[in-house]
Amino acid sequence: MFRVPLLIALALSIAFGGGIVSTLYALNVTTGFGAIRLGAWEAFPNAQTAAADPYAKSHRARAGNLLYGNAEGLAFSASVDDAGGRLVSGCSYAVSGQTPHARLWTLYAGNTGGQPFAVNPALPAGLNSWTVVRETDSSFTVTVSARAQPGNWLPLPTGNVSFRLTLTLLDTPTAGSSGLIDLSMPKVSLLGCGDA
Amino acid sequence: MLKILLAIVVGLVGAVLLHLIIILSLPHFTGLDAYTRILARGDLNRFHLLSAKPDKAGLSVADPFMHVAVCSFDVDAVPLRLQARGSVPFWSLAIFDSASNEIFSMNDRTSVGGGLDVVIATPIQLTALRKALPEQLAQSILVEVPRPDGYAVVRTLAPRRSFDQAAQAFLQEASCQDFTGR
Repeated sequence: MFRVPLLIALALSIAFGGGIVSTLYALNVTTGFGAIRLGAWEAFPNAQTAAADPYAKSHRARAGNLLYGNAEGLAFSASVDDAGGRLVSGCSYAVSGQTPHARLWTLYAGNTGGQPFAVNPALPAGLNSWTVVRETDSSFTVTVSARAQPGNWLPLPTGNVSFRLTLTLLDTPTAGSSGLIDLSMPKVSLLGCGDA
Repeated sequence: MLKILLAIVVGLVGAVLLHLIIILSLPHFTGLDAYTRILARGDLNRFHLLSAKPDKAGLSVADPFMHVAVCSFDVDAVPLRLQARGSVPFWSLAIFDSASNEIFSMNDRTSVGGGLDVVIATPIQLTALRKALPEQLAQSILVEVPRPDGYAVVRTLAPRRSFDQAAQAFLQEASCQDFTGR
């Protein structure tokens, strides 16, 4: 005699449970469609515009970040290395190569939400195109590690937490370009884990 | 058995519908979007400098080299004029509507004479302005906004610590005021 209410309860619980869980998952796992992916890096050049897809609009309305306009720049982020492994602060990584054409760029490490780590103020909080030390062909290699490194060093917190690298290109044609496939971003490669 | 299957299918269809409804309606009521957070900073027509530490509304500057100021505006009655001048290696401006859609953006290379001088107005105000362009707006960039409320974000970059002071001064002296014609 409770068959019908039971069936209605089953349908409703699947509808509400599934609907809410899938929405939260979709909003937490991605910023939306329309990403440019270059190796480990991804960027969303249209996330701040009216042409952004509904997922991107929902995501930015929840995150409440101040996004870069088209003429301002484009922020790339990487939370995996080139081999697809998750970036963790227990390991050391090398970010090497060239950035796409931009007047200036900045690079910093932050938590998975993109907020920078509170490192010792005596250590470099990040690197930019003015402070980075370059090779003779103007390429650069940045060592991302919790331990001090020679050359360009981007400090990480000690422990074994996931982190995200953010590379912001300022005043770059990349944001408005359609020929994005030819762009080369720096490679993110794993150097070793632990004390190695 | 068939009825249970039917209940599951109905549930899944409901889940898809609910998913779409939430995604499409979420931007209108999160209360966490950038515009709401900027309004929570207080006065309109004034640049508020953001710091690396999140403020009460959760606004912060993530990039360690960036300095950012925000100003919310409502040009329903009178146009708004943004001005800033100073010696910084880079500055940029982006204007968003209240739904955080980009309306206009520029940087120092696309400015007139290196300084920031932008007038934000509704289409009707802009027609009136263009009819008899005031002398002091001869060098200004005129931006038309489809809706009267929104916010402007000005960023500057301090690649080294020694630029911090100039970057802060640039933003502190930036004005975001009603343009009344005088």
